[in-house]
Amino acid sequence: MQEAVRLQTEDFSVDAELAALRASSKRIGGIATFVGCARDFSEGRDVLRIDFDAYPAMAVAELQRLRNEAIEKYGLLDARIVHRIGSVVAGDNIVLIVTGAEHRAPALNACHWLIDELKQCVPIWKKETTPEGESWVTPHP
Amino acid sequence: MAQGGSVIRILFFGPVAERISKRETLMEFAPGMQLREAVAALRVTHPQAFDIVCFTAVNQVQIKDMSLPLNDGDEIAFMAKFSGG
Repeated sequence: MQEAVRLQTEDFSVDAELAALRASSKRIGGIATFVGCARDFSEGRDVLRIDFDAYPAMAVAELQRLRNEAIEKYGLLDARIVHRIGSVVAGDNIVLIVTGAEHRAPALNACHWLIDELKQCVPIWKKETTPEGESWVTPHP
Repeated sequence: MAQGGSVIRILFFGPVAERISKRETLMEFAPGMQLREAVAALRVTHPQAFDIVCFTAVNQVQIKDMSLPLNDGDEIAFMAKFSGG
């Protein structure tokens, strides 16, 4: 089984990550997922490609810290976070967060908290290529 | 720059790296050195990087205290606002 937290250039399988989460505990009664994917339009411009840069050692450490904190804070039974780096195009997956808890509320709340925290705390940067050129993305709220 | 001696590894990523066309450099380490001294020296050699640097990490941990003592072999990263997800 792959690590619960990881960066990777290749696409991920939502089904495989869900299966891994479900295999971790038979007490899970609610699973929440967030999939972030690449759009073909942003800030009024067509987007041809998105390139991700990261500080891998710190990014993985921060993702592990967030996973541990979410498990503690929301009483999760398990959580998995996968973020892609390298190049993606419109429609491609970017990030996956899967949270499992005994009931739906903590799973949903933890999933929401994790993606918000990821955007604030994890050293990953995205650059969009448009017909007008390339530009680094300003963080979105 | 000393190679194989007492050095600190300096890393740049994303928009910061692109701005200065560099992802890594080495800085000589001196006993008693604090983070603020490393930052001050780099502000002179790479001023354009610091227009957009928002976060500093030492050995993969974000640091706000510029009086942090540095050690031989430390890794310092200078980073712009994150935009993952």
